[in-house]
Amino acid sequence: MTDVSGWADPEDTTVYVPGPNNSTLADLLERILDKGVVIAGDIKIDLLDIELLTIRLRLFIASVDTAKRAGIDWWETDPAMSSRAARDALTEENEMLRERLAALESRLEGGSGSPSTPTTRSTPTESTPENRVR
Amino acid sequence: MSSSDTVTYLFALCAARPPDEALSAVAGHSGGGPLRALRAGAVHLIVQDVPAADFDERTLADRLNRPGDLRRCALAHHRGVAAGAPCGPVVPLPMATVYLSDDNAVAAVAAREEAVLAVFRRLTGRTEWAVKVHAAPGEPAGSPAPPAAARAAPGGTGTGGTGDSGGSGAAGGRSYLSRASARQRSRRDLHETARAVARTVDLTLRRYAVDATAHRPQSERLTGRRAPQLLNAAYLVDDARHREFTAALERLRADERLREVEITSSGPWIPYSFARLDEPEAMAVATPEATAGVTAGAGVAGVPKTGAP
Repeated sequence: MTDVSGWADPEDTTVYVPGPNNSTLADLLERILDKGVVIAGDIKIDLLDIELLTIRLRLFIASVDTAKRAGIDWWETDPAMSSRAARDALTEENEMLRERLAALESRLEGGSGSPSTPTTRSTPTESTPENRVR
Repeated sequence: MSSSDTVTYLFALCAARPPDEALSAVAGHSGGGPLRALRAGAVHLIVQDVPAADFDERTLADRLNRPGDLRRCALAHHRGVAAGAPCGPVVPLPMATVYLSDDNAVAAVAAREEAVLAVFRRLTGRTEWAVKVHAAPGEPAGSPAPPAAARAAPGGTGTGGTGDSGGSGAAGGRSYLSRASARQRSRRDLHETARAVARTVDLTLRRYAVDATAHRPQSERLTGRRAPQLLNAAYLVDDARHREFTAALERLRADERLREVEITSSGPWIPYSFARLDEPEAMAVATPEATAGVTAGAGVAGVPKTGAP
């Protein structure tokens, strides 16, 4: 197939909608962080574990989506606020997610993988709006 | 072309030079210039001038460790790579491959020209398909006979046998234990079966592919599913056989005998998973490259100096 429009769309962040052409950011990160022809650049970077990064990203997207649904997306739409504010919001969000993730991880290490799904999903939902609005 | 306050971000290598209009129409990394092409022998590089301040070692690591930035970066990278796809084979580089100057980028690629050309030959007219196999969802609850039977008949005609009186006290405890262990056994069996099914899926699909590779299965934390991922594979498929491949996939999905698993797929991908320089010579060439005329004599060792002379 040579039609370009047919490339898998990594913008689709839905996690596993069954059917063809459903790629996720996890799939994309798996590829662009870990695969490809490695030709050393001039700048070396130290990344966290790819899986950890991806999990964080998944939580982040879930929380951003939630915030958007709640209409709290000023940092994206207001150009005056955007750059600086977005960074603050992200940093803040990131810290919050770090904490949540640490909590989740310790819970998971305590056994039974099953609670992971509901917890993971609901976490950003409940935390984001309050976090943003302050 | 990079001045001291920009560095050269390398997205991908192409066999044919993508038209300038096509490149400049693609949004690369924010804050950077338009995408453009460089040339190293028969290899074309898709690059972008990006702000040095955003792409020095520390800042870059920080940014990529932040989910929002990582996502933006990842999508920008993918767009840059995909920009070369209409014109022939594309060999993606890992995200965040950055050079201090165009010359450094060109020199690094030129030193591996032969190996890169070999990858082009391997990828021409082929795309990647990602296939994942999960144990069927809700497997513990919705699974067929054994656990259901154990649950439906508390203390009844238990498969486990021993303490099936269902009464109180010790007998109840024993029957609980035997039911629990029967459940565990059947779950183990199911997993075994599912694993075997995943292997079947893989072997079947390999018949339609010129190459296949297995990625590390994604954890349940990552997928957000409760069911374990049994296969996370990528297949390199000839354009000519792409329909056969997807048809095979559909048949597997529809196959009643494979109900223990759920098969998901995505594609066509630019063949990220198959873009690697296999030739061991590629490694050997890596050293002489510094002598091969890297302009500032900087080598590629990676001391980040933001201010080029």
